[in-house]
Amino acid sequence: MSVRFEQIKEILVNNLKVTPEQVTPEATWEDIELDSLAMVELSLMIEQEFGLEIGDDELLRAPTIGAMVGLMEERSTTA
Amino acid sequence: MPGNEVAVTGLGLVTPGGVGVGPSWTAVLEGRPTAAVDPALEDGPVRISCRVPGFDPDALLGARRAYRLDRFTQFALVAAREAIADAGLDPETWDGARVGVVLGCADGGPETVERQHHVLRDRGAAKVSPLLLPMQLPNMLAGQAAMEFRASGPNLVVATACASGATAIGTARDLLALDRCDIVLAGGSEAMITPLVMAGFAQMGALSRREDDPAGASRPFDADRDGFVAAEGAGVLVLERTADARARGARVRGRIVGYGATADAHHMTSPHPEGAGLEQALRAALADAGAGPADVGHVNAHGTATPLNDLVEARVLSRMLTARPLVTSTKGVTGHLLGAAGAVEAALTVLTLEQGRVPPTANLTRLDPRIDIDVAAAPTDTRADLALSNSCGFGGQNAALAIAAA
Repeated sequence: MSVRFEQIKEILVNNLKVTPEQVTPEATWEDIELDSLAMVELSLMIEQEFGLEIGDDELLRAPTIGAMVGLMEERSTTA
Repeated sequence: MPGNEVAVTGLGLVTPGGVGVGPSWTAVLEGRPTAAVDPALEDGPVRISCRVPGFDPDALLGARRAYRLDRFTQFALVAAREAIADAGLDPETWDGARVGVVLGCADGGPETVERQHHVLRDRGAAKVSPLLLPMQLPNMLAGQAAMEFRASGPNLVVATACASGATAIGTARDLLALDRCDIVLAGGSEAMITPLVMAGFAQMGALSRREDDPAGASRPFDADRDGFVAAEGAGVLVLERTADARARGARVRGRIVGYGATADAHHMTSPHPEGAGLEQALRAALADAGAGPADVGHVNAHGTATPLNDLVEARVLSRMLTARPLVTSTKGVTGHLLGAAGAVEAALTVLTLEQGRVPPTANLTRLDPRIDIDVAAAPTDTRADLALSNSCGFGGQNAALAIAAA
């Protein structure tokens, strides 16, 4: 698992109270039961924790947690 | 409206006496004050409050559920769950379309508002939580209860300030009488002990300043009272038409037999000097119950321990109830639960009649000489079968419930 994956897992588990076992690279937003409000929260937390600007709409378009980690990695190299 | 009475088949309490009906009733009956210095109010003008001890929302509701709920909603869900279980009902199997929710609060979720206002001020609008409104809106109390308990019948939150909890129960009674639903989760919840709200209360001169003796700060009807102590918590009652409750073999713990709702039409915050609106509410509740003043065996007073409320309320009671029923104010123990007070006290009144024990008015050491009513200073046996529970709100709203033994 990448460092980014572990970072996002930490936010999902500690802040959004997702069960740790549910957080896998293959899991979708539906799998971990996050709604659109939680996506806005997640977007704010990613910016606050890592200084990465990823909109909630972008997060929602990422099909899995793994895809979102990819988005974060892409954004951090271009930042 | 005799014949439209409803049965109380379940009780749920979250109060400064504890989480649950058991610890709450014990604290009240023992006359054990709960007011204490509140670390969260350290920099404020008044640092005394009555907090719910040992309330762990993650353990009670699950962390996933709890973190998206303001404290006032957390309290209500925990109290409602206890009340439903007490009524022997199961939300998994009930006909949710026939289950209503009517809850009251004075202020919604100011804790959430204040926290997010700091975010706005310090970090800008783009950092404000998307949960600000879904957490703080007052109507979320009932909306969240609907989701939690599969209750899709009539669903509303009422606001009559410190009468809200009683107004909710009265309104629920009316919905049942009109056959809008078969079961109502009725009550009130409040969590507004925040720096801003407390500053506001302090500026009104409404709060007790007895910081050197917090336990003695809430002293209803006492000559040395100097204001109320703000409290938090919730009370929820399960209400059903009495005939329905008896038909399903439910344990009827008490009955709501009358409701009176009035307005002082007088002043923003001061009660009418003669208590005209309160008296009108009490008379309306008794007429609704098909009873008269002489039938009243006990009164759970609003009794906030503000100098003016207690004087005006006592004048109404002594003028109207010439048989001198035993009066108590449980706020000596619990403090003032504001929009939850009327619901918590309705539940305590049901328990008083059921157990045949009038709880004492804590801290009553010397009755105000201008007050001419009989106030319980110690736990007292009673055989009363009809009681009044009084509530008055800023804005001049009054709500009176006539409560009968099962």
